[in-house]
Amino acid sequence: MEKLLALIFVYIFVENFVLMRFFGICPFLGVSRKMETAVGMSMAVIFVMTISTLVTWLLYTYLLEPFNLLYLQIVAFILVIASLVQLVETVLRKISPTLYQGLGIYLPLITTNCAVLAVALLAVQEEYSLLESLVFAISAAVGFSLALIIMAGIRERLELANVPKAFQGTAITLITAGILSLAFMGFKGMLSI
Amino acid sequence: MSSPWKDIWRGILPENPTFRLVLGMCPTLAVTTMVKNGLGMGLSTMAVLICSNVVISALRKLIPEQVRIPVYIVVIATFVTIVEMLLKAFQPDLYRDLGIFIPLIVVNCIILGRAEAFAGKNTIFRSFLDGLGMGLGFTLALLLLSAIREIIGSGTFLAGTGAEVQVFGSGFEPFAVFAAPAGAFVVLGLLIALSNVAFKRFNIG
Amino acid sequence: MRELLRLVLTLAVVGIVSAAVLAGVNNITAPVIAENERQETLQALKDFFPDVSSTEVKEEEDGTYTLVYDGSGKLLGVMATVQFKGYGGWVTYNMAVSSEGKITAIRVLDCSSETPGVGDVIAKPEFLERLMGKGVGDAIQAGVDVDTVSGATISTTAMINSVRLVVDTVAANYLGMEEEGFDIAAVPDGTYQGTGQGYKGDIVVEVTVEGGKITDIKVISQEETDTYFATAYAVIPQRIIDEQNLEVDVKTGATGSSAGIVEAVRDALQKALESGGEEE
Repeated sequence: MEKLLALIFVYIFVENFVLMRFFGICPFLGVSRKMETAVGMSMAVIFVMTISTLVTWLLYTYLLEPFNLLYLQIVAFILVIASLVQLVETVLRKISPTLYQGLGIYLPLITTNCAVLAVALLAVQEEYSLLESLVFAISAAVGFSLALIIMAGIRERLELANVPKAFQGTAITLITAGILSLAFMGFKGMLSI
Repeated sequence: MSSPWKDIWRGILPENPTFRLVLGMCPTLAVTTMVKNGLGMGLSTMAVLICSNVVISALRKLIPEQVRIPVYIVVIATFVTIVEMLLKAFQPDLYRDLGIFIPLIVVNCIILGRAEAFAGKNTIFRSFLDGLGMGLGFTLALLLLSAIREIIGSGTFLAGTGAEVQVFGSGFEPFAVFAAPAGAFVVLGLLIALSNVAFKRFNIG
Repeated sequence: MRELLRLVLTLAVVGIVSAAVLAGVNNITAPVIAENERQETLQALKDFFPDVSSTEVKEEEDGTYTLVYDGSGKLLGVMATVQFKGYGGWVTYNMAVSSEGKITAIRVLDCSSETPGVGDVIAKPEFLERLMGKGVGDAIQAGVDVDTVSGATISTTAMINSVRLVVDTVAANYLGMEEEGFDIAAVPDGTYQGTGQGYKGDIVVEVTVEGGKITDIKVISQEETDTYFATAYAVIPQRIIDEQNLEVDVKTGATGSSAGIVEAVRDALQKALESGGEEE
């Protein structure tokens, strides 16, 4: 139980996947412009990350490892993720066309969100149990969402500020992320897994 | 500028994946603490990029449109796995330092992006050149970023290779924050701002 | 229908070719990788024990212990490969302990979790030389006997604590060294469980400590031969309580069980000291 709570705290704050470990930067830069899309993307990522970690964990534990097929890990894992995203796309198009439209190109881009693959790989690398892996995935996804939503809040205000031309867009976002990362560094050493 | 060179040059400067297209950010920020790692990651990504571009271009007439993305993914993932195994066997230090970012090459948007935008529609030779150019552009960006971070953040250059140099002498207290994640964000942000100015001034791309 | 078949077939073919290629490359690289790992271990050993001729590797839960023997089969020492939690994560290091229980070398393999320029001082000679030559029986208390490094207190303290623990473990488990003078008075009040190696299996005891003295020893489980165990049990716990000392004479004829009980009591008290007196 303590381990689960520790996992939650560590992966949302201490080892925040975006600000401390550099996973998921591309969508972080791309989707954080508006709060609505940020929230929508967050939901989608939490869902995909959790389910894909579940499936890849099972695949690894019951197929790849016992049959000595570890060299197929990368191919297998990424195919699982790609298929899941395809599934989410199809389902979302039927259930909520508005959200589907809102997310636009960013939905298929979850496949290339390195955070999703990273979580799947790390869950088996750290030898977490199935439950621990699920908690890990959800926490990492929440951490990603946290960073994304904070950044969206800041960027919406930055739109109204006088940012020098050369810095507009990516540059100022990265520097802001740097300051956020500095803030999150304060969590370091509080807890380790 | 004659056409083959144009295909290479495009990835190096006018459409540099890091500074212009803003792709492949994750490894760019993560592994550039040391020049050795930046170089290793850049070359590994370039290897995968060239191989996957060539294969996908070779197969482009055979792959049905609807399944092209999964096929691209399998091809890229295969080459990434090969690179991973080769690194583990022949460059274990680099393998250990790059860590989880080696398998993450498979989701480096540069590779899938070029497969979709170029290799799927062009000849093998041109796809090869495109991979080469983009790979070089990415590697150069990584080199620049990691040089800055290593020199200011650790006071060394080329640490870990045979040619390590203590840039500032032993009394130097490095600015550790540059080696930390926060430093990565800030330095990259500044570099992109700088490149925006430079590109505008010299009218490239 | 034909269209769907074509799609599935393409995917299947690509998948199979991919798997085949990967299997092939794996066959080539896997032996190289295994050899690399073998070489790395041997190289690390040669640095620490130049006369190494053969080894015996013990994989324990807390680390890997390699017993190093020279050409004549004499034990030169033990190389421990251990991990501990530093400031930011797990630190891995190799430590060579001579057959006299003294630290002869330490090499940090991975301290990437510690703050670069600050915590990674634990890998540097200026810190490690403070630990050289210390051994079992020496006091290795962070800040008291071995200086920590200001600004890197957490990293260096964690390292010193780990080193002390490993030296004791190596000495007790592989060098056959008795711990000198166990200080029972330092054990906080409470009831603790411990496990020791008996003649036939584990012996689990429950030890009660009050006011710095052992007041009760109960055996909870054992797999010894009934008659031998009975004789040991009748005598050893009372001897320990009477003498308030673990260096008691063993019962002749039941030495295995006797030693097992003593070891279990020592283990219980050891755990008590380490956990700071939390009740099991």
